[in-house]
Amino acid sequence: MCLGLVMIKFSNVSLIYPNSTTTVLENLNLEIAEGEMVLVIGSTGSGKSSLLRLINGLVPHHTGGILAGDVSVDGISTQLVKPGGMAHLIGIVGQNPANGFVADTVEEELAFGMEALNLPNDVMRKRVEEVLDLLSLTPLRNRVIATLSGGEQQRVAIGTALVAHPKVLVLDEPTSALDPIAAEDVLSILHRLVHDLSLTVVIAEHKLERVIGFADRIVQINGNGVANIGTPEEIMLNSPIAPPIVHLARALGLEEIGLSVRELRRMTTDIREASFEPLIASTPQQEVEIIITKALSVSYGQKIALKSVNARIYNNEIVAVMGRNGAGKSSLLKSIAGISDATSGSVVVSGIDPQTLKGKQRRTTLGFIPQEPSDLLYGQSVQIECDQADRDNQVSPGTTMQILTSLVPGITAHTHPRDLSEGQRLGLALSIVLASNPSVLILDEPTRGLDYNAKAELIRILIDFARATNKCVVLATHDVELVAELATRVIFIADGEIVADGPTLDVLLSSPAFAPQVSKVMSPQPWLRISDVITALETAR
Amino acid sequence: MTLTAGVTRFTGKNSLVLAIASLFSIAGFVWPFFYQGTDLPQTQFFFWLAVVVAFVLAIVEISSTRIDAKSLALLGVLAALISALRPLGAGAVGIEPMWFILILSARVFGASFGFILGMVSMFASAILTGGVGPWLGYQIFAAAWIGMAAGLLPKKVRGKSELAMLIVYGAIAAQIFGVLMDLQYWPWALGSDTQLSYVPSGAISENLKRFITFHCATAMAWDLPRAIFTITLIAFTGSAVLAALRRSYTRAAFLTPVVFSERVK
Repeated sequence: MCLGLVMIKFSNVSLIYPNSTTTVLENLNLEIAEGEMVLVIGSTGSGKSSLLRLINGLVPHHTGGILAGDVSVDGISTQLVKPGGMAHLIGIVGQNPANGFVADTVEEELAFGMEALNLPNDVMRKRVEEVLDLLSLTPLRNRVIATLSGGEQQRVAIGTALVAHPKVLVLDEPTSALDPIAAEDVLSILHRLVHDLSLTVVIAEHKLERVIGFADRIVQINGNGVANIGTPEEIMLNSPIAPPIVHLARALGLEEIGLSVRELRRMTTDIREASFEPLIASTPQQEVEIIITKALSVSYGQKIALKSVNARIYNNEIVAVMGRNGAGKSSLLKSIAGISDATSGSVVVSGIDPQTLKGKQRRTTLGFIPQEPSDLLYGQSVQIECDQADRDNQVSPGTTMQILTSLVPGITAHTHPRDLSEGQRLGLALSIVLASNPSVLILDEPTRGLDYNAKAELIRILIDFARATNKCVVLATHDVELVAELATRVIFIADGEIVADGPTLDVLLSSPAFAPQVSKVMSPQPWLRISDVITALETAR
Repeated sequence: MTLTAGVTRFTGKNSLVLAIASLFSIAGFVWPFFYQGTDLPQTQFFFWLAVVVAFVLAIVEISSTRIDAKSLALLGVLAALISALRPLGAGAVGIEPMWFILILSARVFGASFGFILGMVSMFASAILTGGVGPWLGYQIFAAAWIGMAAGLLPKKVRGKSELAMLIVYGAIAAQIFGVLMDLQYWPWALGSDTQLSYVPSGAISENLKRFITFHCATAMAWDLPRAIFTITLIAFTGSAVLAALRRSYTRAAFLTPVVFSERVK
């Protein structure tokens, strides 16, 4: 395939990290043309980040290791030029933009990179203006970066990469920490950069629903070092990592797959038109009220986070709390967990005020996993964390480790918790919490940074958990696909108030913005999951 | 075989220049004992200036060394941490939470790193707290030496004995810092007519005796709390902080082989 000038070239690239015997990549040959947008997919730990960092030579110059073959960008080989010498050519944007910021305000941050490249003052001024316009950052130019939202911060991070006029932009999961609207924002900007400036973009992502429509080609890393390269249609035919619509197309046995809701709708007109028996939703037996909030209000100084929230959560329920960033999801969760003080009103969990819970009683009543699971992890190794949890909960030694192994297999016991991947860390925190066998499980944004496999595993565990007597799960999330698979009920919060509260099906289908892909394709049929579609079709047959 | 960059290390020339700069500032500390003259204020002024010049010399020399990006990042983060910790104890007698981080960091990252870290963090924290004055040069060198010496402690000692060694060192370092600060302050601290005052052009033995008495009188208020505070922090947080620092050492992949080959296997 010839698309013009070759910008990035991997020839026979294999990589081994120090103190390791397995190859991360094996004999990878890849040519990325100027102005191409290439998506890198693969499960956690498969080598996506390694591939991205090979592009500017951070691997192996900063990490050590054996690199066979050659990586070159714009004709410059990373063997000969160190990462610093590539800085004008390649811009890098990480998962968490806040980790990369140096200056206080947007303008200063944009100028910082050029300062390091020693560009003349007038050039710097011009380029800052240019980038402010390009990324629609002008209204934010004097804002303090710490006060920006996640999506805005990510845009500033892209801006700081662009001021040096790079030819290549490399992004490692740029949207995984963002809410859907912010993620959409970032992706549309990338799309524009590729088309308007013919910038070459290499992007790694877990969640393919949104990004796949923008990609020209996909590099799929299989974890054993081998990679498949092809157009999205080619790769999605067989890839185990795929967005829900692709799985739907496969489950329906369609000959072709569609990458957008529109395409798939066109292919499935006949299925939708037929009439079906309504599915009998298996609503759990709701007898015992486990969590009751009465006129709960929470405010932080002037800011009102929750306004008089009345909610009841019964046994065997999995309740998803949804809403925009800053709507009050976390505040509700923290109040239920007894962490933040209610300004007025009350919370009762299993008949007790959660703020009065202490020690063992607290652990057996509720388990809370915060947005950043590492906040719960203080040990020097996974083993130490697990042993500690065994002792705290007076369970037989090895219990926590056993839960962990069933949750996320393949973690070495002596790894430091902070060296684990996002998904593994969540798994560890979850096993520690599960070891105490609490009656309520509360999770704040549990799927951030999880790949599809880890997510499926999380869903299985939470459903299992909620099935036991007198247990329930409350989770806050942006992830509609997760909610569709998992939740029995959805509470939708806007501006501190509950605006919708009802069975998942009703709440999700009532608004197109929150509908999962399957129901967008299958509307007006009331199906949320692939399994719903299949069951309905089989019953009709 | 090439390696990834290591933690910054002084070359022979660096060490030589820094030794000369250190000698200047040592002279700035001990001149009162050897002073035999009549123009005391000018001499004092001269040595203040000498210490400042020594500091500038040291900074110029350090800036000319190639500090790798990873060392620089570590240096920045640790210096920021130390500088932020220093004002925490501002005003309180000897409550200076900065020393234990400096000592533990220097222990992990070595003498050269410790020297630079001591300098940079003392300088940065002085700007933060507004504590800029003639004493600053003295403080900077004292901190640099304390960092360097922590990095020179025997490498092989690990576990409980390592912690014990660092506790002892922490106590000594806190004392030495106290002595050095007293030394730069004492000649003009008390006026000329007290029992403990510096006697210009006096005998070394007489002045030493007076200084030791002066130091002991003031040490109670500053140096003992500083030493106790430092060793308590090392004792309670030492193993955790050391583990965290050593982990970042490993994660930074210092001096790891980089191999470019035709084939991997």
